[in-house]
Amino acid sequence: MEFLELLKTGRPVLLDGGMGTMLQARGLPVGAAPETAALEHPEWLREIHSAYLDAGSQIVYANTFGANREKLAHCGRTVAEVVPAAVSVAREAARGRGLVALDVGPIGQLLEPTGTLEFEQAVDIFAEVVEAGAAAGADLIAIETMTDLQEARAALLAAREHSSLPVLVTMTYEATGRTFLGCSPACAALTLEGLGADAIGVNCSLGPREMPPLVEELLRWTTLPIVLKPNAGLPHPDGSGYDISPEEFAHSLAALADLGVQVFGGCCGTTPEYIALLRRELEGRTVRRVTRTVPAAVCSGTQAVPIDRVRVIGERINPTGKKLMKEALRRGDVDYMLNQALAQTEAGADILDVNVGLPEIDEADMMVRTVKALQGVTDAPLQLDSTDPKVLERALRVYCGKAIVNSVNGEAESLSAILPLVKKYGAAVVGLTLDQGGIPKSAEARMEVARRILERALALGIRREDVYIDCLTLTVSAEQEGAAQTLTALRRVKEELGLKTVLGVSNISFGLPARPLVNQNFLTMAMAAGLDLPILNPNVDTMMAAVRCYHLLTNVDRDAREFIAAYGNAAVSTSISGGGAAPAASASGGGRGLAEVVEAGLKGEAAAAARALLETREPMDVVDHVLIPALDKVGADFEQNRVFLPQLIQSAGAAQAAFEVIRESLAQRNGGSVSRGTVVLATVKGDIHDIGKNIVKVLLENYGYTVVDLGKDVDPSAVVEAVRRHAAPLVGLSALMTTTLKSMAETISMLHDAGLTCQIMVGGAVLTPDYARQIQADFYARDAKESVDIAKRVIG
Amino acid sequence: MPLPISLTDLQIDEVLRYMGTPPDRAEPAIRKLAEGCARELLGVVRPRWAARTFELTPEEGGVRLSSGLLLPGEDLKRHLAGCRRAVLFCATLSAQADALIRRAESGDMLRALALDSCATAAVEQLCDQIELELQRQFPGCFFPFRYSPGYGDLPLTLQSSLLALLDAPRQVGLCASASHILTPRKSVTAILGVADHPIQASVRSCLGCPAHDGCQYRKSGGHCGIS
Repeated sequence: MEFLELLKTGRPVLLDGGMGTMLQARGLPVGAAPETAALEHPEWLREIHSAYLDAGSQIVYANTFGANREKLAHCGRTVAEVVPAAVSVAREAARGRGLVALDVGPIGQLLEPTGTLEFEQAVDIFAEVVEAGAAAGADLIAIETMTDLQEARAALLAAREHSSLPVLVTMTYEATGRTFLGCSPACAALTLEGLGADAIGVNCSLGPREMPPLVEELLRWTTLPIVLKPNAGLPHPDGSGYDISPEEFAHSLAALADLGVQVFGGCCGTTPEYIALLRRELEGRTVRRVTRTVPAAVCSGTQAVPIDRVRVIGERINPTGKKLMKEALRRGDVDYMLNQALAQTEAGADILDVNVGLPEIDEADMMVRTVKALQGVTDAPLQLDSTDPKVLERALRVYCGKAIVNSVNGEAESLSAILPLVKKYGAAVVGLTLDQGGIPKSAEARMEVARRILERALALGIRREDVYIDCLTLTVSAEQEGAAQTLTALRRVKEELGLKTVLGVSNISFGLPARPLVNQNFLTMAMAAGLDLPILNPNVDTMMAAVRCYHLLTNVDRDAREFIAAYGNAAVSTSISGGGAAPAASASGGGRGLAEVVEAGLKGEAAAAARALLETREPMDVVDHVLIPALDKVGADFEQNRVFLPQLIQSAGAAQAAFEVIRESLAQRNGGSVSRGTVVLATVKGDIHDIGKNIVKVLLENYGYTVVDLGKDVDPSAVVEAVRRHAAPLVGLSALMTTTLKSMAETISMLHDAGLTCQIMVGGAVLTPDYARQIQADFYARDAKESVDIAKRVIG
Repeated sequence: MPLPISLTDLQIDEVLRYMGTPPDRAEPAIRKLAEGCARELLGVVRPRWAARTFELTPEEGGVRLSSGLLLPGEDLKRHLAGCRRAVLFCATLSAQADALIRRAESGDMLRALALDSCATAAVEQLCDQIELELQRQFPGCFFPFRYSPGYGDLPLTLQSSLLALLDAPRQVGLCASASHILTPRKSVTAILGVADHPIQASVRSCLGCPAHDGCQYRKSGGHCGIS
């Protein structure tokens, strides 16, 4: 019987037990690659597989756990040698008696952002294993012992794209209920089911006694069959084995069929004896059938967000109407977006919309960079926002979790381009109630579009819970009757179609005075009509206040805990002042001058001091005659050990706050830029220690240089490309490890070979002036301060 | 799995040194920042470690572990003279430390520097505690200071073989990148020699310091004051 048929019987399915310890018992040395056994000792594998089949295993795992090219390189073997050999010997043993799973374990290197392995590289590494395994005749693919959800995704995607075999995916958790990298069963379930796994669960980890809470969480978030393949309990501190007897293992594991677990097996420390007893315990047992309905939810790799109350989608990562963000996008500066993200989650956003569309940039590349950078710093799930299906697909591939796609609409072309992507990557989707005819005026016509979107989504196998309808806000100053139609449509979508609803609220007040008042009241009306997902600016207090009040008044915020936490100490102003949103410049009482503020490193006062100065002086005058001299003074003190690195950074932070004000003021009058010239910075390929480079960046920016920061682990060709594109006169490269100095040398020689006239400065822990000369760098920067001196010499 | 070790407190003077500030001249605000960051870091990290004991055989070009792995170079061989055994161990603060620092880096570099320095101090303290725990397991024995790839002529390219001996990716979630960098970043692999007889006292110096080549004090020709 095939794997999927076995699952359909609803009866328990039995996998095998541990492999590593069985191999070591036969003479495999500690630390040696177990995968070589397929070539060097196939008889061992034949014995082990047969013993498990005799014990009752219906599926045996081929000995391919670490048979990927990265791990095999250490023992001089290839995937093409090992995988077919291991699958064949398992198939021989299992002929007529059971199925063979291609076992796919972790690559052995961490993926970005903790490690340096790129997602698509990981997919490629797994694809090679999958193709070899499928060609050798494996019946299914078992992805196991994953601690990083992103790596599990890479393996699953490779399995789906490079074979038609069924796939089961299990991850390994700690006693805290999270993996080493912080993934919870909920995030794993939402993501892996969406991406097309056939069964999911837990392996390795702990013993059967620790499984129930993990199982219960999985059951809440997936409708897939649940797999458990735990260790033989917890290991003894002295390394002499595990603490659970075969009897207890079998007994406590089999009992979990009563919770609804269907697929059973053992991991480290388990032997055919464990499996034989497990089989006996499972005999006659039925898997409890529970009707499972997974609620609407999205997640990142570390945080699940159920749509069970109003969830705020932050709208700020979007260049529309934002000059500074447009500039940042043209420079390729993702830090701007990261700051927007952190400010919004701090203000209370649950989900972040990400739109980086700008006609003159490569939107897909920028989207990928931004999504990767964002998931490195925030746990909030993302809403991927683009009109281009290609951009959406690139973003969906690298997004770790269950995203929201923004958006599809009722047009045939949109439906057929977007919905298949939503299905393939297991996302949720925003459906806009418009089509080729534009936005229908009546609520009924919008309902019609919503129905059409839902029907198509369901036909493709997208869950009803994953379709969020946006009934669209029209500007009330232009079409006053529109607001009521939007709210009516929203209520009907919610009640008649039973779908979650999403709505951008800020447009309602366009062209009116006192916009915050209009926005806040419209938001409240929409929530009362059933809005689940408002898209808004969470940094506007009145909007978040409306959401918090709504939760208080609808008894969602039990005992008013959140409300009191937010406002217990606040003096809330309910009046609308006449002026703009910017705080008054005299916040500091106009006391200290900007130079003094920068020298003292008082970040909080710098913006106000700069604003005060700009009232009477030209921006560039402030930069050249106040900011830079102040920074120079701090720099000189640093050189003479009168102040130390923290003060230098503090002053830079204060100067940065001042610079932001100056940049805004220049951008507003389109009066050119503050830039003295461009410096490209990168931490070289293979190196991920970038704190020094980041300190250099802050200092350079505060001397008025435009920094194109390529980040860490940067390919030499990317440096060349950036220098060329930005015509940068200066490049700074950093490396912290002796092992990555050679990529620094490579980068420099590639810059020279490209005939670029830029000067190159290098820095980092292991560098010396001698070595810098040797690899033909033009300058050696001992510390961050010296990099500024070099920039002054090169650029002025 | 070895006994869990928890970090409850960081030596703030050490953190300040890693931040490039002499502790006796640190402004109160900087010290306070370091203390706050220490608390924050200790609140999120999940220290883990793994260890394994091997017999040692010195030979031409290095010293061989009983697993068969050769640790190449003369410096470690000299360092382990008189030791019949050695404990190989690894320790990590977990990916949560990296994430916390990354988050700070995109907003406030001073906090990022403080957190990074706290993490460096924390992983050193973790290793100190592991070393004490291991010494307890060998009563009556003598120990030279712990020695890591990158010290002397012991190459960093050894990292993934050492991690494989400890089954570190699976046991503690610690891996080496293609360029032999430990990830999560705030992690260590080390070899602790075990001698049955007294050995020539070896003092931990700049050689054994995690800041060695990158040290601000050494760069300006000075010394941090710790022997």
